[in-house]
Amino acid sequence: MRLEAKIEVDAVVIGGGIAGLQTALDLAEQDYLVVVVEKDASVGGKMIRLSKVFPTLDCASCITTPKMAAAAHHENISILTYGDLKSLDRSSDGRLEAVVEKKPRFVDEAKCIGCRQCEYDCPILVADENQGGFSARKAIHIPFSNAIPQVATLDVDHCILCGRCEKVCPTQAVDYFQQPQTIRIHAAAAVIATGFQMTSLHDKPQYGSGEITNVIDALQMERLLAPHGPYNRVLRPSDGMEPDSIAFVQCAGSRDRSMGVPYCSRVCCMYAIKQAMLLSGALPLADITIYYMDIRAFGKNYEQFFQNAQAMGIQFVKAKVASLAAAENGAVEVCYEDQVNGGVTRTSHDLVVLSLGKIAAWNPFGTCPVEVAEDGFIRSVSPRLAATLTSMEGVFAAGAAAGPKDIVDAIAEAGAAAMKAASYLSACHRPKQARSGVSINVKPQPSRAVAMG
Amino acid sequence: MKDTTIPGKILVLATESCAYPGADAVGQAHLSYPANTYVLRVPSPVLFPEKFYLDCFDKGISAIIIMSCGVECPYEGAYDALAQRIDRVYQLMRQRGLDVRRLRLTAICTVCTRAFVKEVNAMNELIKELGPPGTEIELQDVAQSA
Amino acid sequence: MREVQIDSAQQAQAEEKRVGVYICHCGGNISDHVDVEALCARAGQAPGVAVARTHMFMCSDPGQEMIIKDLQEGKVNRVVVASCAPSLHESTFRGTLQRAGFNPYLYEHANIREQVSWVHHGRPATEKATALVAAAAAKAARLEPLEPIRMDVIRHATVIGAGVAGLQAALDLASRGIPVALIEKSPFLGGHVAKLDNIAPSNEKASELLTRLTRQVLDQPAITVHTCTRVVGFAGCVGNFTLRIKVDGEQGQDEGKKLHSMPTKTPRRGVFLPQYGVVTGSCPENPAEDSIETGAVILATGFKPYQPMFGEYGYGRHPQVVTLPEAIQALAGENGSHPVWHWHGRPIRNLAIIHCVGSRQIPGVHEAAEGAALNEYCSRTCCSASLGFANQVRENYPVTRVFEFYRDIRTYGRGQEELYQRASKNRVLFFRFEAQEPPRIESNGTGSESPLQITVKDTLTFGEEVQVAADLVVLAVGMKPNGIDDLVEMMKLPVGSDGFLLEVHPKLRPVELPNSGLLLAGTCQAPMDIGEATNAASAAAVKASGLLARGFVELDPFVAEVNLEQCTGTGACVVACPRDGALQLAEVAVNGKPFKKAQVSPAFCLGCGACVAVCPTNAINIKGWTLKQYEAMVDAIVADLAA
Ligand SMILES: Cc1cc2nc3c(=O)[nH]c(=O)nc-3n(C[C@H](O)[C@H](O)[C@H](O)COP(=O)(O)OP(=O)(O)OC[C@H]3O[C@@H](n4cnc5c(N)ncnc54)[C@H](O)[C@@H]3O)c2cc1C
Ligand SMILES: Cc1cc2nc3c(=O)[nH]c(=O)nc-3n(C[C@H](O)[C@H](O)[C@H](O)COP(=O)(O)OP(=O)(O)OC[C@H]3O[C@@H](n4cnc5c(N)ncnc54)[C@H](O)[C@@H]3O)c2cc1C
Ligand code: SF4
Ligand code: SF4
Repeated sequence: MRLEAKIEVDAVVIGGGIAGLQTALDLAEQDYLVVVVEKDASVGGKMIRLSKVFPTLDCASCITTPKMAAAAHHENISILTYGDLKSLDRSSDGRLEAVVEKKPRFVDEAKCIGCRQCEYDCPILVADENQGGFSARKAIHIPFSNAIPQVATLDVDHCILCGRCEKVCPTQAVDYFQQPQTIRIHAAAAVIATGFQMTSLHDKPQYGSGEITNVIDALQMERLLAPHGPYNRVLRPSDGMEPDSIAFVQCAGSRDRSMGVPYCSRVCCMYAIKQAMLLSGALPLADITIYYMDIRAFGKNYEQFFQNAQAMGIQFVKAKVASLAAAENGAVEVCYEDQVNGGVTRTSHDLVVLSLGKIAAWNPFGTCPVEVAEDGFIRSVSPRLAATLTSMEGVFAAGAAAGPKDIVDAIAEAGAAAMKAASYLSACHRPKQARSGVSINVKPQPSRAVAMG
Repeated sequence: MKDTTIPGKILVLATESCAYPGADAVGQAHLSYPANTYVLRVPSPVLFPEKFYLDCFDKGISAIIIMSCGVECPYEGAYDALAQRIDRVYQLMRQRGLDVRRLRLTAICTVCTRAFVKEVNAMNELIKELGPPGTEIELQDVAQSA
Repeated sequence: MREVQIDSAQQAQAEEKRVGVYICHCGGNISDHVDVEALCARAGQAPGVAVARTHMFMCSDPGQEMIIKDLQEGKVNRVVVASCAPSLHESTFRGTLQRAGFNPYLYEHANIREQVSWVHHGRPATEKATALVAAAAAKAARLEPLEPIRMDVIRHATVIGAGVAGLQAALDLASRGIPVALIEKSPFLGGHVAKLDNIAPSNEKASELLTRLTRQVLDQPAITVHTCTRVVGFAGCVGNFTLRIKVDGEQGQDEGKKLHSMPTKTPRRGVFLPQYGVVTGSCPENPAEDSIETGAVILATGFKPYQPMFGEYGYGRHPQVVTLPEAIQALAGENGSHPVWHWHGRPIRNLAIIHCVGSRQIPGVHEAAEGAALNEYCSRTCCSASLGFANQVRENYPVTRVFEFYRDIRTYGRGQEELYQRASKNRVLFFRFEAQEPPRIESNGTGSESPLQITVKDTLTFGEEVQVAADLVVLAVGMKPNGIDDLVEMMKLPVGSDGFLLEVHPKLRPVELPNSGLLLAGTCQAPMDIGEATNAASAAAVKASGLLARGFVELDPFVAEVNLEQCTGTGACVVACPRDGALQLAEVAVNGKPFKKAQVSPAFCLGCGACVAVCPTNAINIKGWTLKQYEAMVDAIVADLAA
């Protein structure tokens, strides 16, 4: 038998990345009740998994965690993690209904105190996707150190049902028989903030189809560079060697119709420059090369960041990389046409990072009648004056869900989506329902600073 | 009888927005470090006057590590003022014959777990070498009277 | 003058502080490493502690009930919970106090899990936990109730600048029922967009877009439009600002005169005039001053195009070298009936566009105009605007050839890369140059077909030197911030090294200023295109709306507070304070006699404590984090309760 719950709110935000959290906070500050639906076990999106952010080189965790906590503690915001959006559509009463299946964590969220006893006792090691697959985690685990909520999640695919976690849990929170729960969310407005994902390395035969061990993607490099990363150092995956020569391949899957992503992914130039700078700090003797078509350092202070990188001795080579091949001793051979000096050139590097293309993380087809544009991202019906308006009345889009975007642009757009949703809500009748009963593990704070924004 | 394996007490002034959560992250990672460290949560260490540090040494605190947010300090201008103050504290420490290495200004972020442990361990090594605060003065006195 | 009464005797007989200490086992997480019962016994001995108890899970309902019972029975009036990190449960236990009818700030947290049981073992763990609990109890005994700072706000907002950003911000605020004053120095609405024609990348007409947007603004009764108006005075703080405005058309005088001499004779309200914008009425004949009481101010003063220096790419020297805004204006006036584009009657067979003029300047390579700084930033919109312009020329005048000279093509946004691809399809020819070797523009001498010749080392063809004849050279000029020195001075606005207004945090808070109640919309903050400017405008509006929605704002109570009895008025704190307007010396009548005393403006105070450190009498403290509390904590740590 399925458990069902109903929630009445003013607005539902789909996606708990930085854009979704900012939208929720801005709506909550207008005294609207908001529920954030996140498919992962923690909110925070890509940003919480980054090392440092361009162009300020702030530690990503340090600036994301306060936003996550502010949303989790806000008395007008409920957070529903590990939820699978089944449908989002207009119901017969004209309001929106989001049907979410809360996936079983096999751990009672209300009981878990985040102590990780289960994690320590679990005998199963699995590659940790939150560390780029470079280190191991347990089959039952808390996703990462500043995850919100701090609740363990059991990964049924790897669990051998040995029963140790259940025994060791001090609060008897482990529940091997937990069932999925269906939650119906009724809201007047919805904001889609489902973000992006990277194209798959496996679809790129010219770049080794993911078979060359020392060819990694940029998110993996973020983990290698993170202060709490898998090795605490930058080591290449095949043999744990400190690489002496590292190459970045730009537009590896973007701006190329043959790769399915004709548009520019917008942030890869900047994150490659950032990673190159961080690398030259971590490995001062290493040679770092960025193969690029155009350097798109367009944001505030980005061009200056790029100029600094050149001054630091990072090599920028204008070339479209044609192919990559495994070479001797774990090296990777980069084959490109050199546009400045001419001719096909081959160079070997110890480690190659691909700036893969960004595609939409969520395809609404079959779940929600909102239109997507040709690029696969949510279509804006008024891109110049109100970019967050979608083809569905009362449904708005923000952040990378509406096209690749860096953090600051995602945050500005999140504010804009909250504004449009608030305008829409003030035009509708405001519901009088009481606050929902979703458990969020955090109780409201007694008072909050308005300046928190 | 005093436990001689614990050389003295280290006070850590950790900022609420960076270093204090960083110290918590060390716990979450179950790393281990000597138990003679006491972390006080502060909005910004710029709050403490020179006298506060000197008083701490007088009271018997062997060393103080200020773990700030560094350039990520949320209070505009506070970090520079702090750095200047610490320079003055160093002068006063020298005047009193206190080894200035007993006071250290660092920046620790919310996930800098290894840096935290490194700082604490290094300071422990140092105070083992230096002994309790004030012994430097005695040494000087001895040197002068000799 | 403020009057206060100080009665020392009254202060002395404050209520007796009874601290309750509650220690959590955390289901073994703490109690496996810390001897919780021993800790509890010792905590009971600590000064000021009335009750010490333990529980398996303090955060559970029975755990919290235990605290509520002690509070309500009068056993304790200050609470310490020793458990996990404060980030997890400090707010939970503050809520517990509140539920018991107590002030939530009479609470102190002792972190004995993350900072004790998870990092230390055995006896040292228990000893450290004891010291931390004693320190927390020492602080708790010195806690006073705190109230959030509540300030009434005026439900009214002002937007300065009526470009697309200002117009959009005003509309958004009005949609939330907030009355808005929209102040524009010129007689027109629309800002720079009025000078555009086809808007990249969506290919909408600027005239249609502006007419649509301004109609909504003019039809919105909650918006009062003040054209030909400038802000001449500014006072107050968040929620309660007073703006002096001056209506005189002085700034918009040139344009104002043009308005009167327009061929349309009496331009109607709401009509779009190409190059100028949307008319709101005629400028008043007689100057007038007025004032506006407002709760929040959004700055949307926009940008101005970069003005090339004399001789820069031949500008000013050759009449055939023009800027992109000039070229857009000229092209918009044509009807495209001829296969060759004509400029002032002259056929343009070869058109050259040079990118990054006045943008991406590099110290040591570029030279700044006298007294000006280099524009090191990318202007973000010129690549797409140039490509849109090139496509428009190629598609309407197939015989006119277009050559683009660029450093990097930055078509980053949605629909922009397609513009670039379309330009390639339209056979626009691209040359790429290095900043160190920009294209040279020379006269072609008499007799040749085209008046100008461009020489460039093209890095797309392996650094070959290429020469191109040109009838017209268009400089894709970048953006400079509009000159608003008067507002910067008056409102104490922070300006970045690039000259644009500087936001609080470049990643997380792009539309906010450190000056609470002042917000940023559009290109006054950084170069951006129309879609980005209106997004920023809506983001600024949502912040203003959140501030004004309830009619009051509540700020954290952790700000500086002056003890008037101890304050001797040295003013050292005022000097140390990093924040303008947070702290000043003011005349105060104490028990009838006048004194100079420090006075905090809580709305401005950051709570950093820079003042605390410099006060010779410790008369100023941050509420909830006083120096006395810290000293007491250090005393408790050195006292070694465990020994
Ligand atoms: C390698 C790399 C480095 C980067 N470095 C920087 C940098 O230094 N500076 C910078 O400004 N930007 C950087 N970025 C860009 C940055 O990551 C994005 O700007 C930002 O993450 C966008 O936030 P978002 O909330 O829109 O999307 P996301 O971060 O993708 O968040 C979307 C959220 O929605 C959830 N979600 C998706 N689908 C569903 C669904 N169906 N139901 C419920 N939830 C769903 C996801 O789980 C996720 O939590 C980098 C990106 C990459 C790839
Ligand atoms: C050549 C060129 C081509 C462009 N092409 C495109 C394009 O194709 N597509 C696109 O999306 N974007 C384009 N842009 C960018 C676009 O023009 C801007 O994004 C947009 O104009 C920004 O609007 P804004 O409101 O921020 O500023 P502005 O348009 O500059 O408006 C600012 C307003 O504030 C007023 N003001 C200034 N100071 C004061 C004061 N002290 N008191 C009162 N009022 C004041 C001004 O009079 C003006 O009305 C182009 C820009 C340029 C230079
Ligand atoms: S941002 Fe740079 S690397 Fe990424 S797709 Fe665009 S041009 Fe290529
Ligand atoms: S947008 Fe293009 S033309 Fe404009 S400054 Fe940037 S790179 Fe140069």
